[in-house]
Amino acid sequence: MRGRILRVVSAFAAVAALGLLVNAGALRADDDRNNDGNKGNRNDDGGSRPGQTIPPQTLPQGFESHSDLAHDASQSRHAAQYSAWVVESSRFMRVPFRSFMPDRGDKPTVNLPVNLGIIKAANGDITLYDSGWKQLSYIYDWQFPSCCWHPIREQMTKIGLDPNRVKRIIIGHGHWDHAGQLSEFPNATLYVQKEELKQIDFFLAYPLQFNDGHIHAVNTVERHSYSNRQDLLNGGGTQQPPPNQGCARSPVCGYPPQTLQEIFGKVLHGKAQIIDGRHVVDDGLIIHPAFRGHTYGSQLLQVNTAIGQLVFGSDTYSSWEGIRDWNVANIQQTDTIQQMLAYEKCYALTSATPLSADKRSGSYNQCIAAHEPNSYTPDYPITANWWNVPTGNCSRAAELVLSNGESTHVPAVPNRVYCENEVPPPQHPVPTYEK
Amino acid sequence: MPSAETRFSKLSRRKLVVIAAVLLVLVGIVVVAVQREVTSRRLVAAAISRPTAPSRPPLTRAEETYVQALWPIHGAVERSAARMSLGQIFYVTKDLAGTELKVRVDEALTTYQRAAGQLRALEPPPSLQRAHADYTAAVGLFERSAVEVLKMFDDGRDDHMRIAYPLGQEAADKIREIGGKFWPHEFPPN
Repeated sequence: MRGRILRVVSAFAAVAALGLLVNAGALRADDDRNNDGNKGNRNDDGGSRPGQTIPPQTLPQGFESHSDLAHDASQSRHAAQYSAWVVESSRFMRVPFRSFMPDRGDKPTVNLPVNLGIIKAANGDITLYDSGWKQLSYIYDWQFPSCCWHPIREQMTKIGLDPNRVKRIIIGHGHWDHAGQLSEFPNATLYVQKEELKQIDFFLAYPLQFNDGHIHAVNTVERHSYSNRQDLLNGGGTQQPPPNQGCARSPVCGYPPQTLQEIFGKVLHGKAQIIDGRHVVDDGLIIHPAFRGHTYGSQLLQVNTAIGQLVFGSDTYSSWEGIRDWNVANIQQTDTIQQMLAYEKCYALTSATPLSADKRSGSYNQCIAAHEPNSYTPDYPITANWWNVPTGNCSRAAELVLSNGESTHVPAVPNRVYCENEVPPPQHPVPTYEK
Repeated sequence: MPSAETRFSKLSRRKLVVIAAVLLVLVGIVVVAVQREVTSRRLVAAAISRPTAPSRPPLTRAEETYVQALWPIHGAVERSAARMSLGQIFYVTKDLAGTELKVRVDEALTTYQRAAGQLRALEPPPSLQRAHADYTAAVGLFERSAVEVLKMFDDGRDDHMRIAYPLGQEAADKIREIGGKFWPHEFPPN
């Protein structure tokens, strides 16, 4: 018996020793700055760090090493703190689960909230992360109907936040459901990555038709035209007619002229910062590039709070469970590796707030997802303190964290009865830019 | 010292107790799960009591023909509008030369004028005449917007873009609204 134990221990020791030998010369991602002696050479306005080794096929301004991120994580602990909420701009109803998360699909369909972040500074100034949909009644005519849209200014007022204090809008990317109400805040400055705009421009000339349309995409299959999930995965079902799948096969799907014109409005009126990579917006607010994490110019927002760093991810972080379990989600113009690296950025930036013993807080719990189906439930812990926006068309809000002595905005008796409403609200006038 | 029979009967009794306990726990889990399921279903059923929008009636043959004919026109208009917006953005940020912007706007104007002609040739069914008029008006707004922007290449005044901007925005809003009705899957969840 003793001999057998000895043999097993020896075998383990041999494997461990071999591992050490092999690993000794391996290049780790976070060794980059040590390798080229570039430690501490950081450009706080974004852009590349001269001389730094980056992976192949990577834009310099889109790359951040582990040590860069660790630096941001540790520095921010001493920075200004912010309070934060999420509100639900709208809700996609009954979306086929596998078109959202190809590796999951626990249920045939799923309802996806469209969350945007509201970040309040000690002086009362507000930064939005994403601006939701620009709603018109047609959205409700979908075969996949939407639910619960409510104007963002009204949502803010109804949860006790002043929309006139919005000074910045940082869009995680430029898709119509995340950059949709820019003109509601004519005095706020928009932050968008130059890469995001460049890719749209480039792909506007991209051909849609290949091989007589034989490219198959799950989300272009007619609903109910397949018998079950396996049938769908095996290529079953009927493809939608060409007009309906035009966008689904285009790499610039999701940027209607309406949204681009709103972005142009910001640029034209001197209310936009077109940035190129990492960018310090303010003390405790840092934009991190997540190129091809969802779109070519996706960006994250790191926010310093009383509970450590929050990282807002828009659709790069479509699913919080995806971040937790390392599943891709909402793949659009995504390079899978880049999405995983963007997940890793959240782990790195929140590393100073380790996962709690009960795994309910800290670390990946502080990655804020745009479409997590478990939002506004205890299953997505950071959004557990939620309530229905009063007279807000069934839209929901959640208080993520309070800082600077901010009082809670959650009503004394919060309405937490889940509801759906697919009837559109009346249209309303849009504020105009000051002359 | 207990006999083998006694030991066996003690063991059997212990086994029986353990099996009974496991069974009890399993039954308990099932009861709790069923109760929870029923309660949550009741809650959801009670919660989802708000009205839902009526689904769009299927298009008639004439409507379908019109919508199909409008699709390529819509695609060309959208592409030109997007290229104009982006061109102006890159012009303002000094990433695009004025001459390059002019080429884009000229192309867009040609597209809008061609689209206006194609729209005139369409014969919408009575049910879609209003949508047709709205779409035609939107293309007219795009056209006016392009003409306005082109003036800056004559007199050198960039503020023509500011005059053109609301025209382009109104047009973009209109075609999005009409497009959403005719091609509800054009911009799927993303």
